[in-house]
Amino acid sequence: MNKHICSMALAVSALLGAALLSGCNDVSTELKAPTYKTNIKADETRMSAFKAEFPDQYASYQKNNESEVMTDYKGSIAYHKNDNVNPLPKGFKHAQPYLKNLWLGYPFMYEYNETRGHTHAVEDFVNIDRLNRYGADGKGLMPATCWNCKTPKMMTWIKQYGNDFWSKDVNEFRGKDKIDAKEESISCSTCHDPQTMELRLYSEPLQDWLKRTNQDWNKLSRNEKRTLVCAQCHVEYYFTHPDNGPKLRPVFPWDNGFNPEDMYQYYKGHGKKDANGKPGPFADFVHAASKVPVIKMQHPDFETFQDGPHGAAGVSCADCHMPYQRVDGKKMSSHWMTSPMKDKEMRACRQCHADKTPEYLRQRVIYTQQKTFDQLLKAEALSVKAHEAVRLANSYDGERAADYDALMTEAREMVRKGQLFWDYVSAENSVGFHNPAKALDTLMTSMECSQKAVDLAGQATHYGIAPALAGDIEKIVPPILEMSRKLQQDPEFLQKNPWTKLLPVLPKADQVWDGQERLTSTK
Amino acid sequence: MGTPRNGPWLKWLLGGVAVGVVLFGVLAYAMTATDQRPFCASCHIMQEAAVTHKLGTHADRSCNECHAPHNLLAKLPFKAQAGLSDFMGNLSGKDVPYPASVTTRDVVNENCKACHAQTNVNVASMNAKPYCVDCHRNVAHMRHKPISTRTVAYE
Repeated sequence: MNKHICSMALAVSALLGAALLSGCNDVSTELKAPTYKTNIKADETRMSAFKAEFPDQYASYQKNNESEVMTDYKGSIAYHKNDNVNPLPKGFKHAQPYLKNLWLGYPFMYEYNETRGHTHAVEDFVNIDRLNRYGADGKGLMPATCWNCKTPKMMTWIKQYGNDFWSKDVNEFRGKDKIDAKEESISCSTCHDPQTMELRLYSEPLQDWLKRTNQDWNKLSRNEKRTLVCAQCHVEYYFTHPDNGPKLRPVFPWDNGFNPEDMYQYYKGHGKKDANGKPGPFADFVHAASKVPVIKMQHPDFETFQDGPHGAAGVSCADCHMPYQRVDGKKMSSHWMTSPMKDKEMRACRQCHADKTPEYLRQRVIYTQQKTFDQLLKAEALSVKAHEAVRLANSYDGERAADYDALMTEAREMVRKGQLFWDYVSAENSVGFHNPAKALDTLMTSMECSQKAVDLAGQATHYGIAPALAGDIEKIVPPILEMSRKLQQDPEFLQKNPWTKLLPVLPKADQVWDGQERLTSTK
Repeated sequence: MGTPRNGPWLKWLLGGVAVGVVLFGVLAYAMTATDQRPFCASCHIMQEAAVTHKLGTHADRSCNECHAPHNLLAKLPFKAQAGLSDFMGNLSGKDVPYPASVTTRDVVNENCKACHAQTNVNVASMNAKPYCVDCHRNVAHMRHKPISTRTVAYE
C-alpha cells in the first residue's frame, strides 16, 4: 500500500517536473522535420513494405483510391475528356469536344481521360488505348519511357538496362511478372528514401535538369523540395531524338524558361539533325489533316504554377495538396493528393486564408476556372479552323499567290504555335487557377496565332478557300466524339466524319492485351 | 495594563504578512510565466504559433500581451477559462481553432490599440476594417508565408 502511494507520488512529481521543464524551454525556430531510421530496404519499390512503420501515412495514401467525386471542372472520375455528350462516368458537361480532331494522327486521339489518384496510375496505364493492344507481336508501339512517371520500379529497370531501357517497347514491361499494378504504382519510394524517409528524387529527367542548371538536391530548401517531388512528373516533357542523345530518353524542355513562348522557341531545335549536323525543329507528330508538325504539351503543372501568384510567393505544391492534419493526436501531411476543391471546408487554403470562408475561396477559384475554360474552348475551335484552312490550302487547285510557299510555311508555323499555346493551358490540371493571368494570356496568344494561320492560308490561295471556311466551324469540321484503335479498323466508320476520312484504315486485328493479361499466346 | 508588545498575535500578524507576500510573489511569478511563449509552447500543438511569434516583430512581447486582457480583473478569469478549455481541447485531440474565435480576436484587437494608440490618434483607422490585422495581416502569425517556414510534422 505504502509502496503504491510512493510510486504514485513519484509519477506525479515526475510529470510535474517534466511539465515545468518543458515550460521553461523556448521553441527552436529551426523547424527540424522528424528523422527516421526504418527497417525498409534501400531499393524497396512496393507500397505495402511501408505500411507497418507508417500506418497513418499509408492509410491517408489509400484515400487516393477514391474515384467517384467530381468538382466543378475537375475531379477523379476518369471520363473521356473530349466527351461533353454522354453522362458521367463516360462524359462530363465541361469536356473539350475538339480534342480528337486536334490530335488527329496521334495516339491521344484514341483515348485521353480525366486523371485519378496515384494508386490507379499503373492500372489506368495498362488500360489506355493510346498504347497499342492489337499487335500480333504484342508490341505497344510506344517506348518504355512511358513507364517513367508511373512507377518507382523505374529505378530497378534503369539500374538493369541503363539508357537501353527507354527505347524498348512499352509492352515488354506490361505483364504481371514484370510489375505489380497495385503495389508498384506511384507510392512511397517515388518521393522518399526508404531508409530515412527524407524527400528524394527518383526521376532521371529532373535530376538531369538539376545537373544542367548546377543545382544540388542536398542544398535545396525543404520548401523547394515540397514542390520538386511533384515536378518529377507534373511537367511537360519530350523524348530525345536519337540524333541528339540516348534514344527516347525523357527531357524537360526548360532550358529557355518555363513559359509557352520559351518552349515554342526551344522546340525550334532538338529535332532530327540536317546534313550540316544542326538539329532541326522537333515534332511530336504530323497532324493527319493539315500535315503540320505539331508539338504536344503534357501536364505542365509545375511550369505553369512556379511563376503564378502562389508559386512566385514560395507556396509549394504540398502546401495546398498535402495539408497538415491531426490524426491520432499526431500532426502529419495528408497524403491524399487530389482536388483541394473536394473539401467542403477548404481547410488546405485556410491554413493561410484563415479570414476567408470556404464558399468565398471556392468562388474565387471558379472565377478563374470558368473564364479559362470558356476561352479554352474558343481557342480550340479556332485551332481546328486553322488546321482546316491549311488543309484546304495544301491541296488548293485554283490560282495560288506568287509567294504561296512562304505564306504556307508561315501559316503552318502559326498552326503549330497556336496549338502549343492552347495545349499548354488545356493539358494543365488547374483550369487556370495555378496561374490565372498566364492561362488567359496564353489562350489569347493561341487564338491570335491560329487566326494568323487562317489569314495566311487564305492569302496564299487568293482567298479561294474562304467560302469553304465561312460559317460555323462545328458544321464544317464536326467534333469527333468516338475514335479508338478498334474503330480505326472499320473503313465504314472512318467515312462518317470529314476528318476521320483522312486516316488510314488499320488492318483487322483482335485485341492481344487486356490490362496485364496476354489474350493470345506469344508467337 | 495594555497588551504585551511581543504577544502571540503580533507573531501571527507578521507571519501572515510574510506568507501573504511570498504567496503573492509566487502567484505573480506564475501569472507572468504562464503568459509567455515557453509555457504556451509546452503543448506541441502551439509550436506553429510559437515559432512564428519568435520569428516575428513581437518576439520579445509575451503571448498574453496580445492574447489576454491587460486589465487584471478581466485577465484572471479569462486566463483560467482559456487555459482550461485549451487543456481539455488538447487532451481530446482538438486542433488549434482556425480562425481564432471572435472573443480572442476582440481581445487581441484591443491590445493592438493599447500599445499602438499614439500611432493612430489622428486617423480613423478603426472605421473601415473591423480588426487591425485585416491590414497588418502577417502579424497574425505570418499566415501568408509558405507552410514549411512555419511548421513541421511531429509524431
